[in-house]
Amino acid sequence: MSEDRLRVLSVVVEDGPGALSKVSGLIRRRGFHVRAISVGPSREPGLFRMTLTVDSGHAEVDQVRKQLERLVEVVEVEDLTGHDVHSRELVVARVAAADLSDLIERGAKVLHSSPTGTTVEFAGDGGEVGDFVEDLRRHGVQDVVRSGPVVMRRTA
Amino acid sequence: MVLEALEREGVELIFGYPGGANLPIYQHLPDHPKLRHILVRHEQGAAHMADGYARACGKPGVVFATSGPGALNLVTGLATAYMDSVPMIAITGQVASTQVGRDAFQETDVIGATSSVTKHSYLVTNINQLPRVIHEAFHIATTGRPGPVLIDICKDVQQADAPNVPPERLEIPGYKLNGHVNLDHAKAAAIALAEAERPVVLAGHGVLLSHAEVELREFAEKAAAPVGTTLLGIGAFPVNHPLSLHMTGFMGTGWNLKAVQNADVLMMVGMRVDDRVTAKLAGFAPNVKTFIHIDIDGSEMGKNVRPQIELVADAKQALKAMIPHLPQPEKSRGTWLAQIDAWREEHPLKYTHSNGHLQPQDVLIDMYKRCRNEAIVVADVGQNQIWAALWWNYDRPGLFLNSGGSGTMGFALPAAIGAKFARPELDVWCVAGEGGFVMTAQELSVAVEHQLDVKIVLLNNFSLGMVRQFQDDFYGGVRSQVDLTHMPDFVKLAEAYGLPALRVDKFADIGPAMDAAERTKGPFLIDFRIDPEANVYPIVPLGKTLNDFWEAPDQ
Ligand SMILES: Cc1ncc(C[n+]2csc(CCOP(=O)(O)OP(=O)(O)O)c2C)c(N)n1
Repeated sequence: MSEDRLRVLSVVVEDGPGALSKVSGLIRRRGFHVRAISVGPSREPGLFRMTLTVDSGHAEVDQVRKQLERLVEVVEVEDLTGHDVHSRELVVARVAAADLSDLIERGAKVLHSSPTGTTVEFAGDGGEVGDFVEDLRRHGVQDVVRSGPVVMRRTA
Repeated sequence: MVLEALEREGVELIFGYPGGANLPIYQHLPDHPKLRHILVRHEQGAAHMADGYARACGKPGVVFATSGPGALNLVTGLATAYMDSVPMIAITGQVASTQVGRDAFQETDVIGATSSVTKHSYLVTNINQLPRVIHEAFHIATTGRPGPVLIDICKDVQQADAPNVPPERLEIPGYKLNGHVNLDHAKAAAIALAEAERPVVLAGHGVLLSHAEVELREFAEKAAAPVGTTLLGIGAFPVNHPLSLHMTGFMGTGWNLKAVQNADVLMMVGMRVDDRVTAKLAGFAPNVKTFIHIDIDGSEMGKNVRPQIELVADAKQALKAMIPHLPQPEKSRGTWLAQIDAWREEHPLKYTHSNGHLQPQDVLIDMYKRCRNEAIVVADVGQNQIWAALWWNYDRPGLFLNSGGSGTMGFALPAAIGAKFARPELDVWCVAGEGGFVMTAQELSVAVEHQLDVKIVLLNNFSLGMVRQFQDDFYGGVRSQVDLTHMPDFVKLAEAYGLPALRVDKFADIGPAMDAAERTKGPFLIDFRIDPEANVYPIVPLGKTLNDFWEAPDQ
């Protein structure tokens, strides 16, 4: 995978039963590949926002945005690739270690602790979350779940 | 409810086939005498008829099919229309909304199966959605870049009742229409083209869809720029015009390909620039400094060829905006046009007329004489299609129909039937190979039932000709699974269906058989037994550039 084929897109879609499958179907049949995705309601009722990180494959990179725009279910597409953005990912992990002071110093939050282990969460940009996940190994990591990024421009 | 909505959209004709999941609609059909329904013999036939209807008159073709196998039989027809941007509405029955997802009898995920071959699709599970959905569907199918829209309606919804009023205003937040011409780009494009030393214009189906032929001609004449068309663009520019380059692409005319490969400015209007147009992409139009691309679909910009100037707009609007900004053409233009004339002399279309066999070109030349610039010609797919395209000789647009983007064998007969329904005042000729013809031949019954004047010109070469040619030339000469010796006796087949037919295997018999076809009211078939070795030329070998076209061998 080459970095310059990756597009980060913020996509507003209609809230309907078919929207996600139409978006994912399009991505597959155009030869693109989803690297990360997060979906949630938008500020407007009836509209959802997807944040997609898509590998454009052998297609021209701007095709990802253009093809998504053709879908009637897609209301708006913003290509955030290379822009000055806040990009945040969330990770939740269960670790065996009892002493988590260094993780907490980095900004992790304890969600639950029990004699068998501790569940923590951490949010950050992709690099920070990646480093955090690396670090978890030293703490006897038992399970990790990681979200795709949600991304917003720094300035409107 | 469905039927009232269709009447409101101005529908007059429906091609369809009933079954369990759309019976509620059929139950009410007799109450709507304004809606004429044509019972097809296979749903694929319905889809191609609706497609031919739409191509011939511009109104969206409407198709009905039941769930499961009925809807799936539409898929090829939807794909054919989708690839060629043809407006169509497919209304399929679906199992009851409470049954969806339970693998009910004849349940298929039709939205899933068709979303890659439709412009848009809806699953209607609630009667209150229906008026809006039908109204939106017609809007989406017919505006912007047209295309097929599918409405999958659950059976319980077909049986329900609700106030049948669509919303006053269409609000489709995700559907944006292009068409607003960027004037700076239009001006830049006009100047680039007129100031070019060796300009070429290529016109695609978009020119026909936007009825921009008059503007295209005015533009070309004012800019003194030669114009070629794609296979689907045939008719967008008069082939007999001195500036005509005729058809482009990997089976285009030699003088067209020479012009494209030597052009310094290439303007592409209403076309997708696919691999059949470019041949090897890396070697396409290598001397062009400025590509200008006009298309109503922004995703076409740079999809295959990156333009220096792009106009995301309707072809007619774009050309209209450009014409006033055209400066006097470059002085060197005469030299360029003379060069093209020389190429036209050097690389004419040719074929061997008398080798003892009937030649397809002889048949088509006779047919086109009878068309007198005003008959609809529908071609199937394969060699017959390219011969019909290359020997086309009209000055008028919109009368050559074929499946270009999807290359669907079996298209011609049902599409010709649809075209005849759309334009009963025009003669309709259907040109097909015997391979494609038998794929949808069951629709002969429709032609006979409605006594449609469709004249079928079968170019019978006893093989899957185009594939045979590719095998001969590009796959080591290995003829593999292309022999069609075992086919029905087409004259008897026609008789069995109830239409008259003749067999012709001699040049001298072409005229009399064609006379008989023209004299006969209703459908007529002629089984032309042509040279089994006849090939399509020019042709660019697979993987080569447009420079490398082969011409018909001299005999
Ligand atoms: C449905 C379908 N199947 C297969 C093909 C591949 N194909 C393209 S041309 C061709 C041969 C067509 O033979 P025929 O209909 O006899 O026409 P001819 O080329 O001989 O004029 C085939 C098999 C196709 N285009 N469509």
